[in-house]
Amino acid sequence: MEAEKTACVHGGSAIRFHKQFMGAQDKPGDLVQGTLDMLVLKTLARGAMHGYAITEFIQETSGNVLRVEEGALYPALHRLELRGLLASEWGLSENNRRAKYYRLTAAGRKQLAAETERWSRLTLAIALIMDTV
Amino acid sequence: MLERIGLAWLRVKTLVLRRKLDRDLNEELNFHLAMRAEKYGGDHAAQMAARRQFGNSTHIRETCRELWTFAAVETFWRDLRYAVRMLARTPVFTTVAVLSLTLGIGANTALFSLVDVMLLRPLPVRNPHEIVEFVRQSPGAMMTNLPYPVFSFLSQDRSVLSDVFAIRRSQPALQAGNGPEPVRAHEVSGSFFPCLGVNAVTGRTISRDDDRAGSVNRVAVLSHAFWSRRFGKDPSIVGRTMRLSGEPFTVIGIMPLDFFGVDRSDFPDLWVPLAPDPDPGEVWVLGRLRPGVGISQAKARLEPLFQQAMGSLQNTLKLWPESDRKAFLSQRLLVTRATEGTSGLRWMYWEYSYTLKILIGLTALILLIGCTNLANLLMARSAARSGEIGVRLALGAGRPRLVRQLLTENLLLSLAGGTLGMLVAALGHRLMVGLLVRDPLNVALDFRLDYRLLGFGLTLAVMTGLLFGLMPAVRATRADLSGALHRGSRQRGTAHMPLSRGLLAVQIALSLVLLVAGGLFARSLRNLGAADLGLARENLILMDIYRTGKTPEVSQRFWMRLSGQVSALPGVRSIALAGDAVFGYGGWNQTVWIPRPAQPAQDAKVSMNCVGPGFFTTVGIPIIAGREFGHRNRENTPLVALVNQTFARRFFPNENPVGKYFGDRGPASFERYEVVGVVGDAKYGSVREETPPMVFYPLWQCGQRESLVLHLRTASEPAALLPAIRREILAVDPEALVSEVRTLPQVIRKQLREDQMFAAVASFFALLALVLASIGIYGVVAYRVAHRTAEIGVRMALGAKKADVLWLIMRETIGLLAVGALIGVPAALAAARLIKTLLFGLGPSDPLTIAGATFTLVAAGALAGFLPARRAASVEPTIALRSE
Repeated sequence: MEAEKTACVHGGSAIRFHKQFMGAQDKPGDLVQGTLDMLVLKTLARGAMHGYAITEFIQETSGNVLRVEEGALYPALHRLELRGLLASEWGLSENNRRAKYYRLTAAGRKQLAAETERWSRLTLAIALIMDTV
Repeated sequence: MLERIGLAWLRVKTLVLRRKLDRDLNEELNFHLAMRAEKYGGDHAAQMAARRQFGNSTHIRETCRELWTFAAVETFWRDLRYAVRMLARTPVFTTVAVLSLTLGIGANTALFSLVDVMLLRPLPVRNPHEIVEFVRQSPGAMMTNLPYPVFSFLSQDRSVLSDVFAIRRSQPALQAGNGPEPVRAHEVSGSFFPCLGVNAVTGRTISRDDDRAGSVNRVAVLSHAFWSRRFGKDPSIVGRTMRLSGEPFTVIGIMPLDFFGVDRSDFPDLWVPLAPDPDPGEVWVLGRLRPGVGISQAKARLEPLFQQAMGSLQNTLKLWPESDRKAFLSQRLLVTRATEGTSGLRWMYWEYSYTLKILIGLTALILLIGCTNLANLLMARSAARSGEIGVRLALGAGRPRLVRQLLTENLLLSLAGGTLGMLVAALGHRLMVGLLVRDPLNVALDFRLDYRLLGFGLTLAVMTGLLFGLMPAVRATRADLSGALHRGSRQRGTAHMPLSRGLLAVQIALSLVLLVAGGLFARSLRNLGAADLGLARENLILMDIYRTGKTPEVSQRFWMRLSGQVSALPGVRSIALAGDAVFGYGGWNQTVWIPRPAQPAQDAKVSMNCVGPGFFTTVGIPIIAGREFGHRNRENTPLVALVNQTFARRFFPNENPVGKYFGDRGPASFERYEVVGVVGDAKYGSVREETPPMVFYPLWQCGQRESLVLHLRTASEPAALLPAIRREILAVDPEALVSEVRTLPQVIRKQLREDQMFAAVASFFALLALVLASIGIYGVVAYRVAHRTAEIGVRMALGAKKADVLWLIMRETIGLLAVGALIGVPAALAAARLIKTLLFGLGPSDPLTIAGATFTLVAAGALAGFLPARRAASVEPTIALRSE
């Protein structure tokens, strides 16, 4: 809705299908592939959350700059779960509804550390270039 | 690795708990949407906004599900079940589509199976790729029968060949309880079994020691089939003695079931050593190349030996005309691979290659028609399903997913067609052998449904399914959502039409080609059946009788007594003996010299036969001038001959040949024959032949013969008389061997078997093509009419008459048929040229056939188009208008 100026965060291969069938256009500010996975892992480092909360958290924390394309989120979550980085369980949400909660596994924590490390190196490198030129 | 196993385990679990996965997924996504909608205000507009923001939820659900399951397997399984359901819902479509493929694939697979066994399977011997066959080659011909010296000379080589062996066919009489019975024997050199490297299952094979020159052991090795058939698989037969043509032979071994020698189409009952005959005639010669030796190297080394062998025959050629001798001596050696046996060569180059090509052409045509028909049906079907497909696209189904699903349907169809086709092939191969091979009982064909055949049939099925199914599937799913969802949308329908109509026109053209071929073959067969043979065909029995008398006198007495006894039988009108049977193997050729006044004698190639008294009366050939031979024309009386009209016309033009002479021993012949009469022209070798110049000699002036052919004219159906005739012959001499009994109509039928086969196959295919084309036209027109109902309603409301509407629809059908015929007639003319030599009594562009075929096709097509057109024309305008 209010996402006119926000960048889309999406993960992996879901975007390809999505574009084709929804007629989605490439928007300026598309993030690097795999970034969604990293953001999800980071978000869940705070504790167990359901999918909707993850979207909201990313959007709010980024100051409405990043908006998770919801269609891509769920396949990403399931993929991470299948890779053993997340575990899921059914619980009650804040307004007393049944919701599926995701939390990091040990492997997920390790993966997050690796991703964080990779990300800081990447941003540092980009910053170096941007500052020099 | 562990991770992978864990993942697989999760998936297996999901497979079992699929319902739970679906439920969980739905609940998770619904929770998300509900939360979002609540945030936006909770009313209907908020729910819609939440959905829009969420995107294609079906697609997301699909993606997630695929993550959890063995996606490919799962989807395929689902597609398959859906496909089965969809196909079951349209049984007529399914039946027609499957049947058209069944016949196409069945015919092709049956043919392939035949080619496979005949040409592609190696001999069951040691290192079959080293086996080669020797052939003599003259500019116009190749012959596998080689003079015996070629075998002896080639046997000397040890540089490129590791071994050489020779084979000769013979037909000795096996002495059995109820009179002698003919068996098929191969006389083989001692090197035959060692060279092939095969052993007997019981006992031993013929060894090199069995045919040492001068002392040939009388031993016999039985084929497994003969052993089972004749001796009931009695193992104690080994070591026992049996009499073949009066001589005792010891059975020394039984060959394995799959061993048939070196020619699948000539499977002997037994093998005996090849006796080195002083006049050994001709043998087949094969050998084994040394490892690593190539064909051209072998040919270079062996050619000189071959020439020496041929040169050693100089003496026997003295009496030959100069030109024949030169031709004989200029023959060259050809070495060919015989990995698959000698039948391969014959199939490739001689008797069957032409037949095979035409059959391949016919079966390929029917497959092509079947495929075009399938593509057409699929196209019409997908057009009819455009609504369903549109809905599915709108609901978020991916296009590749839809194409895949449609392809699954097509593949299912073609695999069903393929499976049934292979069933047809498995049942039909015997029929095919019967149609194709001259002597089906004598062929060692092993038609196990092996991987090659399965591979061929399935590849054909999958290829047709993919090739002819992909295009309709891709077209059907071309995204045009709004149009597709509009019921009765006309744009979609018409977009399909040009291609569909083009396919239909092609199908009509191909069908016309088959119809013309069927018509030509059928008419040719009728001409052959009704051809004037120059002799009477009904109630004529031919019997080959063998009798070896110790002296000519004994022998002649036997034949005389035989003639007397048999002709006295009630129901026998007349009988005659002859050296060669009418419609036998063409008779012998001979060169004679006709003296000309003041010029050297003219040499002439003629066919000859030796005939006994009463021959022409019995066979029904009229005597035009002079007289038939009597009992007085025998040895030590002046040499006489009868000639046929062609002979008389060609060599004694404008004069009476009776009383003239010709010679048969070179230009200055001293043996002179007086022509004592002229007989009518008759076909002598085959129905097709041009009657050659013929000479007939009195049987008793021809010298002694081991076998003669008894010609019997009966008053009624001959079959009933046969037992009595046989009894009478054995009463005259219990050693006499009746080897082959047939009636003239049987002989002719056998000769025309190939024509019959072509006529049957081509007519059947033509009928099939006609039905398929009619179905195709009916389908497309019916579909068109359904889509134009509203337009027709408008026209009728505006005053169009029934006839106008009928014409409106029929115009298209007629246009289609016209285009089909315009392509089809030239194509048929071109195709018919290929079968020109097979036709009898009509040309390839026989106007009657082509007109008839075109008329049949147009009539059937017009009828197929008329049915839906009439329905369209009888629609009430009000109903038609409401249909939109």
